[in-house]
Amino acid sequence: MSEALDPRKTFGEALVEVGEKNENIIALSADSSSGSQLTAFKNRFPDRHIEFGIMEQGITGFASGLATTGKIPFFVAITPFVTARSFEMFRNDLGYMRQNVKIVGRCSGLTYNTLGPTHQSLDDLALIRTIPGVVVLSPGDPVEIKKVVHAAAEHIGPVYIRIGSPKMPVLFEEDYNFTIGKGILMKDGSDVTLIGTGTLLYQAYSAAGLLAKDGIKARLINIHTIKPLDKEIIIKAARETGKIVVVEEHYIAGGLGGAVAETVTETFPVPVKRIGVDDQFGSNGPYDQLIGLYGLRAEQIAETVKKFIM
Amino acid sequence: MYSLNENDELRLKRNALNIRKNILRLIKADQAGHLGGALSSVEIMTALYFQIMKVDPKNPRWEQRDRFVLSAGHKCLALYSTLAEKGFFDKSLLDTYGSLKSIFPGHPDMHKVPGVESNTGALGHGLSIGGGMAMGLKLSGLKARVYIILGDGELAEGSNWEAAAAASHHGLDNLLALIDRNGLQIGGRTTDVMSYEPLDERWCSFGWSVREVDGHNLKSLVKAMSAIPFEEGKPSLIIADTIKSKGFSFAEDKANYHYWKATTEEIEQAEKDLAEIERRLDG
Repeated sequence: MSEALDPRKTFGEALVEVGEKNENIIALSADSSSGSQLTAFKNRFPDRHIEFGIMEQGITGFASGLATTGKIPFFVAITPFVTARSFEMFRNDLGYMRQNVKIVGRCSGLTYNTLGPTHQSLDDLALIRTIPGVVVLSPGDPVEIKKVVHAAAEHIGPVYIRIGSPKMPVLFEEDYNFTIGKGILMKDGSDVTLIGTGTLLYQAYSAAGLLAKDGIKARLINIHTIKPLDKEIIIKAARETGKIVVVEEHYIAGGLGGAVAETVTETFPVPVKRIGVDDQFGSNGPYDQLIGLYGLRAEQIAETVKKFIM
Repeated sequence: MYSLNENDELRLKRNALNIRKNILRLIKADQAGHLGGALSSVEIMTALYFQIMKVDPKNPRWEQRDRFVLSAGHKCLALYSTLAEKGFFDKSLLDTYGSLKSIFPGHPDMHKVPGVESNTGALGHGLSIGGGMAMGLKLSGLKARVYIILGDGELAEGSNWEAAAAASHHGLDNLLALIDRNGLQIGGRTTDVMSYEPLDERWCSFGWSVREVDGHNLKSLVKAMSAIPFEEGKPSLIIADTIKSKGFSFAEDKANYHYWKATTEEIEQAEKDLAEIERRLDG
């Protein structure tokens, strides 16, 4: 692990890359082009960047209609406004209509550390993973963000991509193998399995390192695709390590932790500990301190794991 | 300015009659359905599908086709009946309505019904979807147009107004929206439940070019529809004044026939009403 990169900027670069490869890709903006890092795309393809102003419900419908004519819209905005606010449009106009539209929620989780619950998003994975046929992606480092954008552009059908905003350390080599729906074994271990995703993958990765120092062999799995979920790698982990801890910057209800618990309960029941935000609206404060408030920092995760497996 | 000749008008009136017969056929299959708004929109759909729109029933996904979005998805009995009349599928399928094997849900499904372009039912979605279609057609350099039917009660959904502003801002003059102003919704008179009148002024203020017509007069409808865009660079709107449940004497202009649980006596009366319309057309 070396440098840390801005996930939004990385996304913006990736969108230009896929735009170069496919002229049907267009970008839709809700008066947030600069914040969503669409400026590079707009400069490169001015005719393929469409500004709508602040109307996320309507834009989701427009995206659906645009897709019927062969366009591949990427609609990018602050996460709660493209998920919770426009949920019915996402469900009906994109999911039910099976449209080839990519919704990108940026500054997810507690990113808006000072702006409070209206701008934070701790429920988007729970909401969107209920929609049949939608691929839900949660990339865990800057390299994976690029892989995810390319994979979403090539996948035919609705895709939701969740990215954060604080700089993300690089965890993966450029040439690692990314496939939608296939989890990644980052570190083998037999005492417990740690499953991380997205904005907190790095904290889970660091926690696994801390546990190793204490002689605990934690298996570390990156689940970048919340849906379709890689049940095989999760059930294998349940069988081989007996206990699972899931780490995510999301409510413990309905997110990846919920999905993992649903999976093992029906197939190979083992204790599952979900680390995330419990049943409360997010608070405000410096980002590092805010995630600490919910026990989401690496050293806190390691402590929780230790208590869980004792 | 296009004007229907008498033969064409008679032909369209027969189409409209057959569409009403198809609606009754659907309802007979399940003894229930959204009647009022389906019957009020029959002439609008007749003019669109049998005079105005370029569509190919043998090739429903033809790239150059005009698109139709039924934003008020509960009027789907009229849409299914029109598509059947146009030859998108065999009319005998209408008799399956309400059964598990039926391809016709109670709101349109593009993946089940040939000729249906979008899934609607939740109100306030169609104008955005159709707006996106119109925008995409322009971006692709296609001349095709997009036609959307909105209900008047539906206009209380705020998402319509987001779409109305965006269609105007982006100059979508290949888009025609038609409001089926039958003046009734479940709770009573639309102006009593939640008034969006005066509709013409409101839509004009959103940058649309607006005309008002008698929504059961095929000549007036075709004349207005043939004139789009009413103004270059602006989306067009036709406010079509209609009568809820038009054609079924016992149900006309009554809010409680928005959704009809049909009795045997009412079905018999509807058949008599349609026979009378047919007798007058033949005479």
